Amino acid sequence: MISAFDYKIPRTLKEACDLLWDYGDKARLIAGGTDLVIALRKGDLKPSCLIDVTNIPELRKIEEQNGMIFIGAAATHSEIASSSIIKKYGRILSDAVAEIGSPQIRNVGTIGGNIINASPAADTIPPLMVLDAVAQVTSREGEKEVPLHLLFKGPYGTNLKPYEILVNVSFKKLSSDIKTSFVRLARREAMAIARMSVAVILQREKGKRQIKEVRISLGSVTPTPQRITDVEAILRGKTPDEERLKIASRKISEVMIQHSGVRPTTSYKAPVVEALFMRGFRQALGKEG
Amino acid sequence: MHTVIKFKVNGRWVEVEVPCHWTLLRLLREKLGLTGTKEGCGIGECGACTVLLDGMPVNSCLILAPKVEGREVHTVEGLGSRAGLHPLQKSFIDHGAVQCGFCTPGILMSSKALIDKNPHPTRGEMKEAISGHLCRCTGYHQIIEAIEAVKK
Repeated sequence: MISAFDYKIPRTLKEACDLLWDYGDKARLIAGGTDLVIALRKGDLKPSCLIDVTNIPELRKIEEQNGMIFIGAAATHSEIASSSIIKKYGRILSDAVAEIGSPQIRNVGTIGGNIINASPAADTIPPLMVLDAVAQVTSREGEKEVPLHLLFKGPYGTNLKPYEILVNVSFKKLSSDIKTSFVRLARREAMAIARMSVAVILQREKGKRQIKEVRISLGSVTPTPQRITDVEAILRGKTPDEERLKIASRKISEVMIQHSGVRPTTSYKAPVVEALFMRGFRQALGKEG
Repeated sequence: MHTVIKFKVNGRWVEVEVPCHWTLLRLLREKLGLTGTKEGCGIGECGACTVLLDGMPVNSCLILAPKVEGREVHTVEGLGSRAGLHPLQKSFIDHGAVQCGFCTPGILMSSKALIDKNPHPTRGEMKEAISGHLCRCTGYHQIIEAIEAVKK
């Protein structure tokens, strides 16, 4: 059963920070609310105040500045999926958010909400991990920048203090020679949580087949978001022939098991994550192979 | 913990006082008597509660009432009437896209948003537009055909 609360709609970041400071842990921030409202109705949370941050202009912007892309925490998945800036300079993210939930969910759900909810199956996070995204956080205590991977402390948990607000995430623009791929496995084509996902960013040596730079992150199969650096090391500077890819994919399932242990689902997930990685990696490689 | 909300419903401004924790769905049904919008699951997965918020399909069971302050909501009641059905409504009837009818109001709103924005959607775009809706009766074929007939 949902319990009563006050609903505040601050117009500025300062107003929001002040409200959050005053209410302490009795308040919760709300953006789209597609996760929060469910938790409230279940009675998992009983805040005495909700602070709606979707009317604060800085939190809604999607913009390019000095070679970096900035996405406000309250930008909706629909806005990101259709943003020409993101499609051009951060395609892996617009591809990923286009598959979240349903049109109704995407019209309301936000990237900030997805990050702060910190579900291991969150779809914005593996792309942001391979984009080396940085989170800007603000509060009455001041502003700080946090590399995204340092934001998470466990499933559904971030390191943010109750009085801190995620303002935006940013990443360096991807140049046109960088190829990306996000593949997602779920029970249905829509309205289904990701059972596993693979995000890959790939750059070749100019005019050669060799891999100059590669970044890999998995979704749903580790307790906290990870860059799979062991596999990146296997591939970096090498030619992506079949043999090397097989070695890499076997390492992917090894790393997954390292982080999540052997579970009843492992006999399914191990070969499938390897295959999903191969599919994603081949997509990023494109026809040249 | 009550709040006064002023917003537009089907073209008319209304002002209501509700508890802050009410959802838009509850506000529409219990305060405004607009019971065309249905609660199917209450967790934003079935689409039966879909209304248009500033022209965008949303699950009204997940929208807290205070969020719609100053905004515009369209429900199935605003789509057409017995005297003058919306082309989508007529097409749904003609193509057998309505059986029990419970999912229909939500799907009509998503369909309206689609063809308002894109008068000639592809089949793929139609399927995507209704991907947030569950229909246990029809098997979706007739619904897609009904939408397709209107785009022509």
